[in-house]
Amino acid sequence: MELTQDQLIKLYTLMVRTRKCDELIVNALKSGKAIGFFHSGQGSEAVPIGACTFNLRDDDYLYPHHRGHGIGYMLARGLSPKPFVASHMGRVAQDVEGPTARERGIHGGSGTIGASFVLSAGMGITAKKNGKNQITACFFGDGSANRGTLHEAMNLASVWKLPIVWVCENNLYAQYMPLKDSMAREDIADLASGYNMPGVIVDGQDVLAVHEAVKAAVDRARAGEGPSLVECKTYRYRGHSEGGPDISHYEPRPAKELEEWKKRDPIKLFRENLLQQGVLTDADVERIDKEIEAEAETLEKYADECPIPKPEDPSVLDRLLYAE
Amino acid sequence: MKEIRFVQAINEALEEELSRDEKVYIIGEDVQAGTFGVSTGLVHKFGPERIMDTPLSETVIAGAAVGSAMTGYRPVAEFMFADFMYVAGDEIFAKAAKWRFIHGGTVELPLVFMASMGGYAKLGAEHSQSPESMFMHTPGLKLVVPSTPYDAKGLMKSAIRDNNPVVYLFHKRLLGLKGEIPEEEYVVPLGQADIKREGTDVTVVATGMMVQFALKVAEELKEKVSVEVIDPRTLEPLDIDTIIESVKKTGRAIVVDEDTKRCGVASEIMAQIMELAFDYLDAPIQRIAAANYPIPGGFMEDYVLPQTKDIKAAIEAIAD
Amino acid sequence: MKQTIYLMAIREALDEELQRDDKVFILGEDVQQGTFGTTTGLVDKFGPERIMDTPLAETAVAGAAIGAAQAGFRPVADMMFGDFMYIAGDEIMLKAAKWRFLHGGKVNVPVVIMAAVGGGMKLGAEHSMIPEAMIMHTPGLKLAVPSTPYDAKGLLKTAIRDDNPVVFFYHKGLLGLPGEIPEDEYLIPFGQADVKREGSDVTVVATSAMVQQSLAVAEQIKDKVSVEIVDPRTLEPFDLDTIIESVKKTGRVVIVDEDTKRCGITAEIGMQIMENGFDYLDAPIQRVAAANMPIAAGFMEEHVLPQPKNIAGAIEAVMA
Repeated sequence: MELTQDQLIKLYTLMVRTRKCDELIVNALKSGKAIGFFHSGQGSEAVPIGACTFNLRDDDYLYPHHRGHGIGYMLARGLSPKPFVASHMGRVAQDVEGPTARERGIHGGSGTIGASFVLSAGMGITAKKNGKNQITACFFGDGSANRGTLHEAMNLASVWKLPIVWVCENNLYAQYMPLKDSMAREDIADLASGYNMPGVIVDGQDVLAVHEAVKAAVDRARAGEGPSLVECKTYRYRGHSEGGPDISHYEPRPAKELEEWKKRDPIKLFRENLLQQGVLTDADVERIDKEIEAEAETLEKYADECPIPKPEDPSVLDRLLYAE
Repeated sequence: MKEIRFVQAINEALEEELSRDEKVYIIGEDVQAGTFGVSTGLVHKFGPERIMDTPLSETVIAGAAVGSAMTGYRPVAEFMFADFMYVAGDEIFAKAAKWRFIHGGTVELPLVFMASMGGYAKLGAEHSQSPESMFMHTPGLKLVVPSTPYDAKGLMKSAIRDNNPVVYLFHKRLLGLKGEIPEEEYVVPLGQADIKREGTDVTVVATGMMVQFALKVAEELKEKVSVEVIDPRTLEPLDIDTIIESVKKTGRAIVVDEDTKRCGVASEIMAQIMELAFDYLDAPIQRIAAANYPIPGGFMEDYVLPQTKDIKAAIEAIAD
Repeated sequence: MKQTIYLMAIREALDEELQRDDKVFILGEDVQQGTFGTTTGLVDKFGPERIMDTPLAETAVAGAAIGAAQAGFRPVADMMFGDFMYIAGDEIMLKAAKWRFLHGGKVNVPVVIMAAVGGGMKLGAEHSMIPEAMIMHTPGLKLAVPSTPYDAKGLLKTAIRDDNPVVFFYHKGLLGLPGEIPEDEYLIPFGQADVKREGSDVTVVATSAMVQQSLAVAEQIKDKVSVEIVDPRTLEPFDLDTIIESVKKTGRVVIVDEDTKRCGITAEIGMQIMENGFDYLDAPIQRVAAANMPIAAGFMEEHVLPQPKNIAGAIEAVMA
């Protein structure tokens, strides 16, 4: 099924919003407003947006990749960015409209990279047992593809024909480790053959290509034919973690590499495509940018007004610890 | 009441809960056959879709249980030997234990991690551990360590119905133990200690196989010392109140634990007794636990694991 | 003597030992760059064959280090965050810890497992742990937890020369701590506690960053209470004697630890004091440790981790 003009515009808008939210946290860390870690996902917006916006049902399960701390996945699933922004400022989100992450199958993220595989296998079991043709989409990076959990989970998923779509956001670097020195093969999609499932490579800068490739894998999973692996070749513009160095091993990443990839910026490519097709006009582009700029300003002010948690009553923590 | 073996008691609990709630299933290596018999035969009634034999992959057994619990099922994940749970360290101690907490209480993890524990079977360092302290130390995990068929059944049913991750350790040398259980359904709530034997001179706190050891010694010494044996049954939540009540009565306490002594369950329970009943103590608390060594294979294990003679000596010393 | 900071002291120790013994090498994720600066620059001197960047695979990092140690090298495995050690639970707690024992003392495992630990940086539940109890509980692993630049350098050199697996925890919050170290080479033997501050009213036992917190509190209240601070420096082997000597003098004890309280090192140390110094105690031992919760993220973490006010409160309570 071809995407409608409105759908194409939505993909574009979501990518721009994803980048804006990412930039917002990067800047807030610089100004000292945000706390803790942030792992920017700038440069790879086409993966979450292309994969998740129109391929997943509301009741599907999704394990986000940690880049951008999942903001692209949340926006693609129709979630408000308020909790994302507030939590990075250490604050408790207030007055959040729209569906919750849980209601859209996002059940959290992990501080240890690679736990995604085995937990997703469990969500795949749930999806299969429910018998409603749900699927589970598990997103991961090239770094975590080196974890042993990948083998255990992909093997189980294939043997049991679990409805899982494994999507690799291969941005060529783990923290500082380049993929060429961490994996004996160039293409992560090649791993699929070891588990007797399809493995495809797609241009991760092309949002429509990602959409199509993931769609085929989702359809296959939904039809009960088992898991597939989609490898999206992409790049990250920033260092692993804000405040940390931007390096390969211990030397700066090649400036030329970044330059080349920026020529194929996923937002720029899609904008040019849509302008060329006449789906968007320059005026539309300007309007969308302004709207998203305004949203970001509102979000920042909103976060400032959200309260810092103060559990004077220790039972607050107890209630977090255990369910009734 | 009817007489039943420990292994059958667990099997009955699993069967009843599988019948009661279709969200319950069992996942693990060779659970259809049942390495220790606890899940044996269930596949005939519930089929391979609910009694799921996995590849040899402890990490995915634990991880898949977590993923499926957070999306609405109630898996019982079987690890065969508790020692193997270290293989899934991240999934058990970081994911299952913390997921609800770090996600603001918005996710529930109704799952059971089940494994055999304990020594005295001459199986060596990696098939004999009782890693109670690891679990009790980790906030977010509940821990069940039954010592009788009655407790084994009632606690397993509670563990499955609990909306949090529960580690359920059954002692491999208790599996043949016979005991009475009611004909009708019952559950044993988590967090309620049981006084396994009443006494007035010394309080002995013990779990799992150590309860049976303590009861044996108490019987042998009954002419000389009146021993009260308290079984917490669950170490988290821990029913410290029942222990403190007993210590107030006896003024003397011994904590017996099969896990390694250092940073073990015994030191924690002793610390809590000290903090809550220091003024009632007539003598320093004694602890008996496995020596600070790996558990050796074969006949050497006697030199590391706690023995009834150690319990006897401690009671005689403290009662003096 | 010369001025340095904690992280430079660690780097110097690595540099000197890499220079001294060509069997020493470092492996881990991004050790060439050095996530915390402790290994930064070493690759320029020793090359990528000895400062080995691995794929993101903690299980392989720990497992390969242990294997290389069994086969004659002296690897230092950098796990980056102490929290990640659970991913290599089997390799560290079963393989490294037990290998020599299981093989009749015929195989040595001279490996150092190094990791950044501790909270205070608002990094949440999986990047803030200091899993001391888990290591101290596991027989076969030595554990060094330095609190100063001097100790960090001297203990790491000893760790690398030890023929047994040593876990070396450096605290993220101490990396920039200044301190003096000798110009000349020196080592600090394991199992020797250090009295970080002399006092006569109360003994505070603390490790790692809690030593620095306790020193600050002791200074604040010096006009009211004379606090003695004992830093065990290594938790295994553990120098109980120095602590008992201090308790004989003060009669009062507070134990401070950043790890989770339940089944933690405060319970263990408390019980060893009770077992070996009960008659010297004028008051029940007080323990200060992290609440029995995962470490909350952001501003919430201070409600879980021990704070100076908790240490001051415990000193006040034990003096009452």
